[in-house]
Amino acid sequence: MASELSSENQTDSPVTAESPAAPRKGLRRRSFMQALGGVAGGVAVMAGATRAKAGNSWDSATDLSDEKLMEMYTKMLKSRWWEEGMKDVFLKGDDKMYGVCHLYIGEEAVAGGCIGALNDDDYIVSHHRGHGHLINKGGDLDKMSAEMFFREGGYNKGFGGSMHITDVSKGILGMNGIVGVSHILGAGAAYGIKVRGGKQVAVSFGGDGSVNNGWFYGALRNAALYKLPFISVIENNGFQVAIPTTETISVRDLSQIGKGLDIPSYTVDGQDIFAVYAVMKRAVDRARNGEGPTLIEAKTHRFYDHAGMARAKIGTLGAFGLPYRSDRDVHAWIANDPLPKFKNALINLGLLDEKKAAALEADVKKQVQASIEFARKSPMPKQEIGLSNVFAQGTVSPSQLHA
Amino acid sequence: MAVKPGNYAILEGIQAEMKTNKDLTIFWQNRPTAVSPMGKVIDLGKEFGNARIPQYTAIDEEWYIGACAGMALTGVPSIAHTPYMCTTRAFDLVFNQIGKLRHMTGGQASMPMVIWQDGAGRQPGMAGQHADAGQESLYAAIPGIKVVIPSNPYDAKGLMIAAIRDPDPVIFWHYGQINAVQTDVPDEAYEVKIGEAKLVQEGTDITIVGYGPAMVEINKAIPGLKAAGINAEIIDPRSLKPLPIEAIAASAKKTGKLLAVDHGHETLCGVTEIIARCAMMGAGNKFHRLAFPDAPPPGNKEMIGWMTPDAPKIVAAAKKMMTA
Ligand SMILES: Cc1ncc(C[n+]2csc(CCOP(=O)(O)OP(=O)(O)O)c2C)c(N)n1
Ligand SMILES: [Mg+2]
Repeated sequence: MASELSSENQTDSPVTAESPAAPRKGLRRRSFMQALGGVAGGVAVMAGATRAKAGNSWDSATDLSDEKLMEMYTKMLKSRWWEEGMKDVFLKGDDKMYGVCHLYIGEEAVAGGCIGALNDDDYIVSHHRGHGHLINKGGDLDKMSAEMFFREGGYNKGFGGSMHITDVSKGILGMNGIVGVSHILGAGAAYGIKVRGGKQVAVSFGGDGSVNNGWFYGALRNAALYKLPFISVIENNGFQVAIPTTETISVRDLSQIGKGLDIPSYTVDGQDIFAVYAVMKRAVDRARNGEGPTLIEAKTHRFYDHAGMARAKIGTLGAFGLPYRSDRDVHAWIANDPLPKFKNALINLGLLDEKKAAALEADVKKQVQASIEFARKSPMPKQEIGLSNVFAQGTVSPSQLHA
Repeated sequence: MAVKPGNYAILEGIQAEMKTNKDLTIFWQNRPTAVSPMGKVIDLGKEFGNARIPQYTAIDEEWYIGACAGMALTGVPSIAHTPYMCTTRAFDLVFNQIGKLRHMTGGQASMPMVIWQDGAGRQPGMAGQHADAGQESLYAAIPGIKVVIPSNPYDAKGLMIAAIRDPDPVIFWHYGQINAVQTDVPDEAYEVKIGEAKLVQEGTDITIVGYGPAMVEINKAIPGLKAAGINAEIIDPRSLKPLPIEAIAASAKKTGKLLAVDHGHETLCGVTEIIARCAMMGAGNKFHRLAFPDAPPPGNKEMIGWMTPDAPKIVAAAKKMMTA
């Protein structure tokens, strides 16, 4: 399977998914839609006895058990409603929230499909928009909420806040505030796996902005050279803050960047968790087999503003009226929301019905509220604690008291 | 003449220079725009076009800081605007190229470029990377680089214009804390000479120095110092390289006491050089330094607040120096 894939990649452009700027656009888009895309088409396939043979002849989700599918769905719900919960506490103002919060809402199928293909002991390196990665890798909602409140009970004990949440014990090597660094840290983690002779894989997530600097190329080039168990996932949401991606790079499918290095490279519909999973599963298999890295570009959409809550409203999905994007686009993206799409697929598969779905959602919302309560009750860290954790041992001097 | 926020004042200076210098180019990871409190809009992209304001520079600080160096070699002056803590992404280019080229080429290479680091500084909630300060001391340690750190919008505009006109590379540290400082900013272009200190307040009891955000806090400490009966002489060096040491040393000699405040980290923060030079010059006999500890800035508000040298800590330190 894997060799088939790489030869496909060498002879043609990405196979799985929509690739708007590539040749044979119409054909590819149509077969893609039949297989995995829009709810109706996708559902018809999904409901089939074999649970989805994609039109491009890739298995879509045949190896996903019912339990696994439900777990992935629950995580997507958690990711969505935890972030909606954070949005609400920021907007209400009672908790005097501070710091940044980059909402991942709209992009959840990327984390869901990618991390759904990983094992617990695999590694991920995230970026500034990474809450969804964490939750899919098993991040604890209580500790995440407490970190948003900069409390002692938070993942980083109040040192880090949203942009740096980390859980090394779960292979979550952290969110990160510096664009592009996730790829080189991820490739390094993959090299570490090679040194120890492990069977894990390391995955880096980065935005479309993260492909524009040297770290990304260094990571890919060396991962290819050493055949590292490394997968780089580019979450192309079309913007870098307010800058359209198209204004920052000359290629339209960012997967094209991997081809000069003979790295299997794919562009996939990031709103479709099955499509993402299908591509990722093969990348993970290749990596575990010692066949080297894969580059995946997932085209996706962010429903809210870059950071903060501009134009966001409690009870409304998405931010409208932002100066750098059109509301018509935002409406179209929301019509392609990965969450109801996944839900409908599961209903068609007979794994879920509306009643069950509502109960599940209510339960997740309860967990989110409980995590916010946990955060509120978690103690403030002592001020002097800031002098610790600089080195493995001891504290640094509180220099301001010298005078 | 009006009170203008820092960002607007700086762009106003750049706008004036772009009008007179037809090659001056600016890289910015967005559109360089600012709105004055009276609603006047500066939109450099609209005014000067895509070649000189490369529309939407990608998130690639190494590219465009390096590109500015390459352009400089051909005589095209430029400004590299970098957000937050991203100037250091191109540290090698500054260390091995930008600072050395003139000297290595026997004076042939000119480096008319400005790196404008925007938005940095101690702030709660950002943690680690986005709330750091003090990197100016790393750059001041590099031969061939001038380092300026304005503490208010008036100085910011004047220093930016001076930096643009300078044939040598200048790193311009624009800390967020200075944006809201109220100073009258003339509409026309003017220079604040690089390497000239500003006497903020005359006094006889103690000399207090600091630049950028530290000077913002020193200014806030003035009422507290007065209330404590301390007649402080306050000096803003405004640049770390060249360092206007004569003015500071003369003051330290007069008062005998030097309190140096810095938002950078204790070890080797910029004011350390001021203390060392004053000591060597025999200027003053009592020295103290108030700096951020040798730790990255934590996100929690109380933690970072406790670690940051602010007005109350400055007053307390000055009091201690007066009595001890
Ligand atoms: C090296 C670096 N340069 C600039 C920034 C400021 N910054 C933070 S996020 C961001 C946009 C990132 O866009 P993208 O990679 O597409 O991710 P998205 O926010 O769209 O998910 C920028 C410019 C930064 N954090 N790091
Ligand atoms: Mg983006």
